[in-house]
Amino acid sequence: METMLEAPVQSPSLLRRVVIGRDPKRTMQRVVILVVVCFIIAKFVLLPIQISGPSMLPTYGERGINFVNRLAYLFHEPRRGDVVSIRLAGPSIMFMKRIIGLPGETVAFHEGHVFIDGKLLDEPYVKFPCSWEHEPRTLGPFEYYLVGDNRSMPQEDHTEGKAPRERIVGKVLL
Amino acid sequence: MKWAFRGALAVIVMALGVWIWVTLFPGPEQAIRKRLAELAQLGSFAGNEGPAAKAFNSQKLASYFTPDVEISVDVPGVPRQKLSGQDDLLKAAMAVRTYLSNLKVDLVDITVTFGPDKTSAVANLTLKVQVNGEKEFTPQEMKFTLKKVKGEWLIREAETVRTLSQALNKLNELNRLNGKLILFRQEVPA
Repeated sequence: METMLEAPVQSPSLLRRVVIGRDPKRTMQRVVILVVVCFIIAKFVLLPIQISGPSMLPTYGERGINFVNRLAYLFHEPRRGDVVSIRLAGPSIMFMKRIIGLPGETVAFHEGHVFIDGKLLDEPYVKFPCSWEHEPRTLGPFEYYLVGDNRSMPQEDHTEGKAPRERIVGKVLL
Repeated sequence: MKWAFRGALAVIVMALGVWIWVTLFPGPEQAIRKRLAELAQLGSFAGNEGPAAKAFNSQKLASYFTPDVEISVDVPGVPRQKLSGQDDLLKAAMAVRTYLSNLKVDLVDITVTFGPDKTSAVANLTLKVQVNGEKEFTPQEMKFTLKKVKGEWLIREAETVRTLSQALNKLNELNRLNGKLILFRQEVPA
């Protein structure tokens, strides 16, 4: 009768199991898939952004992290009140503004209040009063009027105005 | 496995070859992008720049523009500025280097479109400027018109682009010109 000696099966250490998993090949496949999925999402669906500047205070604080949903306007057009990102020459640096005027409307500021086609617009998100004045501006068929929530800034320091639809990259997610 | 390895190696070698080719013999778009990157580098400076370096770098910066360059700056809160010619540009560059202690310039999102003659091009880009080492930056959309002069791409025109337009519609403009500014009749609740 032969005596068989069997080497004890060494199970991987706990640390290795936690870091690499039981099957390193499978773990590597999962990592590659995860990286590809994250890249596609970050590039084409949810654009990660860092907020810089005070023009959206107090709704969005400086240095905050957020995401731009590029698919938000796939099935409907941008709506009044939406906070959107506007591209400059490209998507590396964008403006973050709120839509207050829709295509074809006439937008004006009087004593810090917004008027759309002569009617006062209710803006609960504006917390800081101002005395901005703007004569009426009529938007074209594909133009939107965008402005930040922080109206306490001097008007000349606050970037606001009309932008064509193709400049709107997406809707701010959070 | 062996074939996969060979395939991956072939792809890497091919990519390396393309990269070497593009680096050694850049196409017109690569040449313009390289030129704009150099321009951004020349436009940036640190506080320790001496007077000789200031003059040299300003001179070098001006050499990236044609002698008859036109620069138009129209940004909110500042009266419209216009610079004409390399001399004006040189003076402005020296003034900026004298008054600011530190400037960091980046040109991002560059899109190049060529004219039909291939000796002119338009570059749309975003200018990112950080002054005196501050974290905050000022973005400005720009349009550069370039011209190929003796094999080198020089900037013929540079103008700021208003991302958010403040332009009035034609009727409003006409009324304004006639002194008939449209006024509000709506009362604002207290």
